[in-house]
Amino acid sequence: MIVSMSKVEIVGPKDLLRDVLTFLRDRGIFQVDPEAIGYVPPEEEKDFRSFSLDVQTTVERLFLEDLRLKIDGLLASLPALPVRDSYIDPSTIVDTLAAAVERHSLHARELAELRDALQKERADLERYRIFLGALASLVGSTRETPDLDFIGLTIRETEMVPRIRDGLSRMTDWKYELQTETAEDGTLVGLITVEKSLADQVRKALSEERVPELTFPASFSSLTFPEKVSYVQKRTLEAGAEIERSEEELELFARRWTPLYRSLHGWIDDRLALLKTTAQAYETRMCFFINGWMPTRDLGKLRQDLQVAFGPRIVIDEKEIREEDLERVPIALRNPAYFRPFEILTSLLPLPAYTSYDPTPFIGIFFPIFFGIILGDAGYGIVLILLSLWLRKRYQKSRLVRDGAAILLVSASYAVLFGMLFGEFFGDLPERLLHLPPLLVDRRTAIIPMLLFALAIGVAHILLGLVLGAVSAFRRNVKREALYKVLSIVVIFCILAVIASAAGRFPAVVTRPAVLTILFVAPLLFFSGGVLAPLEFLKSIGNIISYVRIAAIGLTSVMLAFAANELGGLTGSVATGVVVAGIIHLLNIILGVFSPTIHSLRLHYVEFFSKFIEHGGRKFEPLKK
Amino acid sequence: MNLEKVLIAFSAALAIGIPAIATAWAQSRIGSAGAGTLAEKPELTGTIIILVAIPETMVILGFVVSTMILFTVK
Repeated sequence: MIVSMSKVEIVGPKDLLRDVLTFLRDRGIFQVDPEAIGYVPPEEEKDFRSFSLDVQTTVERLFLEDLRLKIDGLLASLPALPVRDSYIDPSTIVDTLAAAVERHSLHARELAELRDALQKERADLERYRIFLGALASLVGSTRETPDLDFIGLTIRETEMVPRIRDGLSRMTDWKYELQTETAEDGTLVGLITVEKSLADQVRKALSEERVPELTFPASFSSLTFPEKVSYVQKRTLEAGAEIERSEEELELFARRWTPLYRSLHGWIDDRLALLKTTAQAYETRMCFFINGWMPTRDLGKLRQDLQVAFGPRIVIDEKEIREEDLERVPIALRNPAYFRPFEILTSLLPLPAYTSYDPTPFIGIFFPIFFGIILGDAGYGIVLILLSLWLRKRYQKSRLVRDGAAILLVSASYAVLFGMLFGEFFGDLPERLLHLPPLLVDRRTAIIPMLLFALAIGVAHILLGLVLGAVSAFRRNVKREALYKVLSIVVIFCILAVIASAAGRFPAVVTRPAVLTILFVAPLLFFSGGVLAPLEFLKSIGNIISYVRIAAIGLTSVMLAFAANELGGLTGSVATGVVVAGIIHLLNIILGVFSPTIHSLRLHYVEFFSKFIEHGGRKFEPLKK
Repeated sequence: MNLEKVLIAFSAALAIGIPAIATAWAQSRIGSAGAGTLAEKPELTGTIIILVAIPETMVILGFVVSTMILFTVK
C-alpha cells in the first residue's frame, strides 16, 4: 500500500533551527522539501527568504568537508580489515584527529608503497629464479670468454625459434649459438651466445621483433652465474620477510586508527547532512520555516514530541495538498507481512505515482495463482516447497533469498492445489499407477477448455485493471480517461456477449442489443480516448488473448512430464525407468520454476499494470542518521 | 483424406512456427540492446523486461490460431 503522506510546515525561532533539525533527524520520519512551501501572501514574500548560513557555520562546513576528504584518502590506503567500533564520542576528538590525519596519511602511504615495492621485487626475483634455473644447464655447457656475450630471452611460441635462428644467421654470418630450454612454469627460454661486437645489433633486432630479453638489474652485473642463483634465493627470502614485517606494521596501524577515523567520518557525514538541510529551510527576520513531507499516521506523535521537547515555541502545521503538489509527494510503501516479500518483484518497476496504486498486493494475490495454474503439478509443488524451506533455513541472513523463498513457498502451494485439481503428480502418475482420474480436468486432453479458462482469467484480470484505472482517473480528476476506461469495459462485455451468443452459450436475443450498444459506444470511445482509442482498445483485446499463455505453457509442462513417464516406462527396468524419468522430471521442475515466473510477471507488468498504474513517484527519503 | 490431414497439420505447424521464429528474432534484437542498456542503467530493469516480453504475444497468437486450425477445421 502507498503510505498516506501529509504536507507539513514547522515554524519556530531561528536559534532553535539546528536543534529542531537534529530532533527530526533522530526520529527519521520527516523529509525536508523546500518546494513543498505553502501559500505566501505577495506582500509578505519580501520578508521570506532561504535560510542563509552564518560565517561561522560556513567555515565549519568547509573545514568538515576538507577533513572528510583527508580521512577518505587515509582509509583508502589502509587495508580493509574487520575492526571493532569505536566507543569514543567522535565530537570530542575532531581537533586531535584533524591535526594528525595528514601525518597518519603520509605514514600509511609510505608503508603501503614500501610493501608494494617489495612485492614487485619478489615477483621479479621469482621470474629471475625460473629463468636462471632453465638457463643453468645451457650456461654450464657454454665456455665463458671475454669476447663473447650472452643474451637471455623468453620465447612466447615454439614456432618463433626457426625465425630467430634465421635472423641470427643473417646478422652474425652464422657466428652464434642459440640454446633453448623449457622452464618449470612452461615458458620456453633461450640463451644466445654471440660475439660482443654483434651483441647490440642482435638486441636491437630482437626488440624490434618483440622477443623480450630478460635483463637483470645492475646489482647482478658483477656476479657470476652461481652467485646470481644464490643471490636470487637469498634476496627472495629477505624480501618475503620484509613484506611480512611491513604488512604487520600496516595492519597494526589500521587496527589502531581505523575505528576512530570511521567513527569520525560517520559523525562528519551526519553533521554535513544537517548543515545541508539547514540551507533548505526558510527564514524571516525572527523565525525559521521547514517544509516537507511525513507519513500522516506519525503526525500526531511528532506534534506531541515537539511539544514536550520545545514547548509552545515550535509550531507544526499540516498544510493542504494542492493538485500541483501531487507530483511532489514522496512515495513510501508499507505492506502486510504476507505481501512484503513480493516487493522484490515490484521493485523492478519504477515507483507508482502518489495517486496511483502500489502494485505489490496485486502481484501478491495473482502471481502465485498464475504460477500454480501454469505449473499445476502436486509432485513438483512439493519439491519446490521443500526447496523453498531449505533456502529459507540456509540463507536466513540474505533478505533477497528469504523473500524469494517465501514467494516460492506460496506459489508452490498453489501448484500443489492446482496439481490436485488437474490430477497431476509428477505428470500422469496417479492415473498411470492408481487409475485415479483428475478431480477437475485433464490438461493433456482438455486443450480447448483450458484455453477458454485462460481467456476467462484474462478477461477478469484486464477488466479489474480497467476498473481500477477508471477509479484512479476519477481520483486524479481526469474524467475523459475515466470515461474511456468505463466505455472499454462496456464494449468488452458486449463483445463477450456477442461471442457467447454466437457459440450458443447465451440466448441469441442478446446479440442484437449487444451489437447496437457497441455501435453506439464506439464514437464515444473516440471522443474520450482520442484518435488512438481504437488502437488502445485493440491492445486491450490483445492483452486478454495474451493470457492464453497460462494454458499454453501449462500444456508444455504437462506434456514434458507425460513424456518423462512414457520414456521411463519404455526402459523395461524399474531402476533405469526411475532414473530416466527422474532426470526429465528434474529438467521440467527447473523449467517449471523459470517459465511460470517469467510469464506470470509479464502478464502483470505488460498486460495488467498498464491498465491502471501510473508510474513516476519519487522515493520517500526522510532525514535520518 | 490423408493429404487433407497432412495439410491441416502443416498449416498448424506454420501458424505457430513462423510467429515463433519472428518472436525469437525480435527478442534477440531487443534482448541484446536491453543487455547493453542495463550495463549502463540498471534501474531500467523493469522497462527492459517489458520490452523483451512484448513480442511474445506473436507466438501466443500463433498458438491460438494453430489450435483453432487443429480443432475446428474438419
